[in-house]
Amino acid sequence: MAGLSLKHIYKVYPNGTKAVSDFNMEIADKEFIVFVGPSGCGKSTTLRMIAGLEDISAGELTIGENVVNDMEPKDRDIAMVFQNYALYPHMTVFENIAFGLRLRKLPKDEINRRVTEAAEILGITEYLSKKPKEMSGGQRQRVSLGRAIVREPKVMLLDEPLSNLDAKLRTQMRSEIAKLHAKLQTTFIYVTHDQIEAMTMGTRIVVMKDGFVQQIDTPKNLYDYPGNKFVAGFIGTPQMNFFEGTLLKKGDNVEINFEYSEAKVTVPYSMMYKAKPSYLDGKKKVYIGLRAEAVSVNPAVVKASKSVIKVRVSHKEELGNQTLIYGDINMQGDGYTESSTRIIINADVAVDFKSGDIIDAALDINKVHLFDEESEVSILPRIPEYNYVDCTVKDGALSFLGVELKMPSAINCPDGKYDLLIPTDAITVKGKDADITVVANENINGVNLLSFELGGRRMFAVTDEEVKKGKAKIAIDWKKISILSADGTVVEAMPSVMTFEGRLLKEKVVEEVTEKDKTKKKKVIKFFLEISGYKTACPDKIADKLITAIGVKHAFGEKLLFECGPYDLKIAEEGISAEAAETADYGREKFAVLKVGENTVYAYTEAQVSGSVNLLPEVDKLSIIQADKHIRIV
Amino acid sequence: MAKKFRSKKRVERTTNIVIYVILTLISIIWLFPFFYLIIQSLRAEQGTATPYFWPKGWTFDNYVKLFTDKSIFNFPKWYGTTLIIAIVVTVIQTVIVLVTSYALSRLRFKMRKPLMNLMLVLGMFPGFMSMTAIYFLLKLVGLTQSFGLVGLVLVYVASSCMGYYICKGFFDTIPKSLDEAARIDGANRHTVFIKIILPLAKPIIIYTILTSFMAPWGEYMFASLMAFGDQSYYNVAVGLKAMLDKETATEYFTRFCAAAVLISIPITALFLWLQKYYVQGVTGGSVKG
Repeated sequence: MAGLSLKHIYKVYPNGTKAVSDFNMEIADKEFIVFVGPSGCGKSTTLRMIAGLEDISAGELTIGENVVNDMEPKDRDIAMVFQNYALYPHMTVFENIAFGLRLRKLPKDEINRRVTEAAEILGITEYLSKKPKEMSGGQRQRVSLGRAIVREPKVMLLDEPLSNLDAKLRTQMRSEIAKLHAKLQTTFIYVTHDQIEAMTMGTRIVVMKDGFVQQIDTPKNLYDYPGNKFVAGFIGTPQMNFFEGTLLKKGDNVEINFEYSEAKVTVPYSMMYKAKPSYLDGKKKVYIGLRAEAVSVNPAVVKASKSVIKVRVSHKEELGNQTLIYGDINMQGDGYTESSTRIIINADVAVDFKSGDIIDAALDINKVHLFDEESEVSILPRIPEYNYVDCTVKDGALSFLGVELKMPSAINCPDGKYDLLIPTDAITVKGKDADITVVANENINGVNLLSFELGGRRMFAVTDEEVKKGKAKIAIDWKKISILSADGTVVEAMPSVMTFEGRLLKEKVVEEVTEKDKTKKKKVIKFFLEISGYKTACPDKIADKLITAIGVKHAFGEKLLFECGPYDLKIAEEGISAEAAETADYGREKFAVLKVGENTVYAYTEAQVSGSVNLLPEVDKLSIIQADKHIRIV
Repeated sequence: MAKKFRSKKRVERTTNIVIYVILTLISIIWLFPFFYLIIQSLRAEQGTATPYFWPKGWTFDNYVKLFTDKSIFNFPKWYGTTLIIAIVVTVIQTVIVLVTSYALSRLRFKMRKPLMNLMLVLGMFPGFMSMTAIYFLLKLVGLTQSFGLVGLVLVYVASSCMGYYICKGFFDTIPKSLDEAARIDGANRHTVFIKIILPLAKPIIIYTILTSFMAPWGEYMFASLMAFGDQSYYNVAVGLKAMLDKETATEYFTRFCAAAVLISIPITALFLWLQKYYVQGVTGGSVKG
């Protein structure tokens, strides 16, 4: 029984192909995690890296307490079930199940006890003396499950175990595996390409595409709050309807215009608080996503609804308990091919439409999903990045939503009217900048999203703990806010990550070593990091990681990028040489603004800084990236 | 009007008859030399080829004399030497071939492909190309004539791993997921090879044993060079050739035939014993398929 932790896991093949990129996840004990995605998305590769069948190119994998990157599969205390069962054909079912126990030299009666027990759980007791070839597919997969569970592993890995079974058996085995998970109380990691399997079995699902994690969440949340268009389209049958369109803010309402169609609906602006204002200009294209069941043709619903569009019916699919109506919101569209005007409606009432009929359909506008057309990321994220408000600057004071604050000297902004971007993590419920009314606390994947009212406007903040509902006071972190005008950015937020270029060096150093009372001079290989011209000793642990990830041949001299926060840089006697330009005073904190080469770097400071100084980075806190391949190694 | 057609059964029967007649003819042509050899080995009259087919007198003397009359040719010694060489070579070569093939099939290392190609190409050159060089090398370390047995074993075994090709092809057909399952179950590569792969590789092990036995059993060129004219170090092939020299051919022809029959016995026996393991479908049921 153990949890797993995957940190910046990469799989890069010698030819440079990245099968898995920057996989990060914490898996708690006893979870049922499902990796799902189309073929070639890297889900099996990730599983095989956890099993130890593939080397991990970069990153750190922890099972329980141990870092297992360099551990043999047999020592990782895991068990795996393969898609093709992988039973040993020359052994009986009993021998197959007992193989792992025999290799571990368990006493005979213990082996007998465990095998019998596993066989009983899986209902294969009567086949124990048979060979795999005498059994059916379902029975073979049971044997393979038995072989995994007798070992009582910390983690069970299942690689598409049901893909080779027929539909009926698959449904049956699905519930049996779920039952097994409940009974064994072990961590399960399950790989599948079938979203129904994923939705029905997983406590959490990892959706992957092209080696990148798209979203990690519970089945319900994936369905209700897809983070991007891919997840929205992958999860759920029939597939979500996607339309192209634009959003236009009109007072307290937002108009959604569907492209290539006359259709338009109006929604209250309160639904769009989380969206960037730039999306609401009526020009920027977005994808509008609506699930089949969020569209209704029920006459009663249509009559009561304000969001009605016209649909031209093309054909329907009778599924017995429901009817899927295929149509087009473009009166010239055919409704057969997938296009940005095709619509699938899940009709919950008996319907009788003919092909070519034009009908009214009501949209459940609370269930609309909006995605950016280029990045395909949801523009209504569950945890918004920023609060967008209008503001005015006059005489060194910033006013928004009835609040007036004196600006610290670091923020330099001419008088005028602007858009203010306050990141949700720049608001803390301590201090006296503004009075707010807390409306709700929402726990989203371990993060508390605080909703509050300020000057009649709903705003959001990310906090560590829940805040009691009612009156409260907040403080705003000035270094994180940005002020935008129509022409561009007027005040930029201070960057939170500083980047330096550098490389890893290896040197032979003559050291005096005392051995058996004799002092000898010995050549020792030492590792150094060169960060923007500054050479510092590199701890062996970091050097090890770099060398394994890049390879001994190329590790030294390979261009690396070092990243750290402004608090990890100290002004000291030695370090990266920099020119101090100014000291930015953000009220509560001061930061030195420095020039390193052509880059501007911020470093936390308590005093005024000027002239040439040295910046000492904290080596342990550096994040190191292989520049050419964009692989985060440390 | 109904179309005329010939019954499918009749067509099948006619074709079968034709095929069987052809096959019978071919097998008669094929088996005739061997049959002739057996007849000749049982012939009582001396002399090389006779103008008639069936011998006038029948006798087992030729066989007996092979073992009793050692005055000129020491057949039992040759037979023994060859058997020892063949058995030792078979054991060593089978192990080497299996191990090499497994490594080439399962492990991924740098230069794997070039190495495989190189071995294949090297194997295409006839062995006697380097014969004289090898002979002088062995002579230098004293592994010719009286120690020729060791020398021959060395020569025959030396290039064993070049015979990896067929065996590797077989290992490639055993699903890799079996190795992986076993490794997760707690086996290391060695255990996987012994406990999983070898039991599944019976047919190819048999094949390897047969081929590695047959090669040294009938080898002539190296053996004759190693003995360097000294009859006591001959193997059967070299010895038998000596029997057919001009001076002895008339007297020893029938005995030669008897010896040839005796030589075919170990191979036939080996094959009969091992062929029952040549069963198909040993991998049945392990994975889907």
